[in-house]
Amino acid sequence: MVSARLVEAPTPFHQFQVGFNIIIDLITPGTRVLDLGCGSGTLLQRLRDEKDVEGCGVELDQEKVVRCIERGIRVISLDLDEGLEGFPDLSYEYVILSRTLQQLMFPERLVREMLRVGSKSIIAFPNYGHWKLTLRHLATGRTPTSSTYPHPWYNTPDIHRLTIKDFRGFVSQIGGKIEKEIFIVDNASRHRLLWPNRRAEWGCCQISAV
Amino acid sequence: MDMPTTPLETEVESQQDPGPVRAQYADFDGITLESGVFLGPLTVAYETYGTLSPNRDNAVMVLHALSGDAHAAGIDEQGRVGWWDGMIGPGKGIDTDRYFVICSNCLGGCKGTTGPPSTNPATGRPYGRSFPIITIADMVDVQAMLVEHLGIRQLHNVIGGSMGGMQALDWAVRYPDRIKSAVLIATTARLSPQGIAFNWVGRNAIYCDSARGSSSEHDQAQPKTARGLAVARMIGHITYLSEETMEAKFGRKLALRDLNGYRYSLGENGKTEGEFEIESYLEYQGTAFMRRFDEDSYIIITKAIDHFDLESIYGDLTRAMENIAAKMLILSFSSDWLYPKTMSLTIMRALQAVKKDVSFVSLDFPYGHDSFLVKDAMPVLGRIIRGFLNGVSATR
Repeated sequence: MVSARLVEAPTPFHQFQVGFNIIIDLITPGTRVLDLGCGSGTLLQRLRDEKDVEGCGVELDQEKVVRCIERGIRVISLDLDEGLEGFPDLSYEYVILSRTLQQLMFPERLVREMLRVGSKSIIAFPNYGHWKLTLRHLATGRTPTSSTYPHPWYNTPDIHRLTIKDFRGFVSQIGGKIEKEIFIVDNASRHRLLWPNRRAEWGCCQISAV
Repeated sequence: MDMPTTPLETEVESQQDPGPVRAQYADFDGITLESGVFLGPLTVAYETYGTLSPNRDNAVMVLHALSGDAHAAGIDEQGRVGWWDGMIGPGKGIDTDRYFVICSNCLGGCKGTTGPPSTNPATGRPYGRSFPIITIADMVDVQAMLVEHLGIRQLHNVIGGSMGGMQALDWAVRYPDRIKSAVLIATTARLSPQGIAFNWVGRNAIYCDSARGSSSEHDQAQPKTARGLAVARMIGHITYLSEETMEAKFGRKLALRDLNGYRYSLGENGKTEGEFEIESYLEYQGTAFMRRFDEDSYIIITKAIDHFDLESIYGDLTRAMENIAAKMLILSFSSDWLYPKTMSLTIMRALQAVKKDVSFVSLDFPYGHDSFLVKDAMPVLGRIIRGFLNGVSATR
């Protein structure tokens, strides 16, 4: 029984705690934070409680938006593929895009918008360059799945598959600068990592406009 | 016309049946309208639900739409259920165990607040069409007078849909220190030309009513039988519903059938009764409205709606938003084609441009503009509004 509805995040929440921790560590207390694809507001709630941030979420799914409001989280119903029209330039200290980049129809357009709206942007994405995925691809000749890309190609919200190297090239191509890179390996954060493109399950980068 | 205060303040348990709700009345010397005209004396009809806290900081003002009145919740002495009873009450979206809820009939209305059916002290007869032109801002000023009269310095929240949403927005813009938060539902900072056109056709139906002249010159003894108002209401109702709802609710079903179940009156030219169910529904709504509403109120209120335009007053919508201090929540319905989502987005973006605390929720209800009054929408709407009102008390 294949469901056409794709509402679940690719990684269950508890598995991404480490990702949230990385993002929370990156954020200066008391700042303004915009969380794109905020889900039901889990990260924003933690940022409010732990870092006293003035947060705002953007989310398309109605039920998740309602849950944000119920939690007292500021939220805006918006399709990220429509861009961030109306958000003034540099109106947030941080713009977060966590586990959503690979699901956008037009990632370039949104990341450019993030660089416009935020002083700094934090993007967390699953690394398709991981050696296990590559090996499985080579061995089977098929598009592999993993804990980071859990859905089969024919029914997935993850419509792009990108590597750490892809992301680095993309950021410099759109005139951005990577300020910090943190990786997740075996559910642990790593600030330094040899061969991250092959070993990291997730990349979490803080970028800014040059 | 001061009525005795309702037993609400002595009420102990909300579970107990508080009995029928009663309208209360506040009298004022008058008000200088935006047009410069002085209107007085002034009576405001209102109802309250719940209990005002000792700090007087738990008041929520509910603002009705075009055809609404002060009777928002509970059952009145005539047995009528309030127009937003699904939202207001113990444990509901606007929880009367927590909040003191006020709803007043708007200025220009016909349900107890001074309006065209009220007696003009200068002539001793109803104002009728001689009632001065009023604006949304005038309605809000009268509401602010009532709030002050009730000894409330700052409202926890103002909330309204459609015209009520216009008022909530106007409250936020012009009374920034008198409200902590505002909920704007299916509304706009300026009505579209399409909306104005529908209102104009509605008013024309009333004007064209050959049976009556201007009601100010009219013999009061004659009962109101004006069909124009009924037609205006039918036009309005079409715009409040979505095509999807009409299809689901009525389809092409026929209302009239003879004893054998055959279609009745088909093709009979000159017959005025509706044949389809949608027709008899509109007929019913129009006739009921004609009996309960005043045509001159309809004219004066729709004109106020048409002329509401924050952009033209402030030159730029963002400039209008600059003074806003309230936490704002904007709700829009995807099936609302009269006050479409783009209008709510315009308000939201203007607020964002000046970095205001605004949330925006787009809801996929199929019921059109009237979604905020539809029973099936109440569970979700209630969760949103309850959550938002609770969040207002919290920091940030």
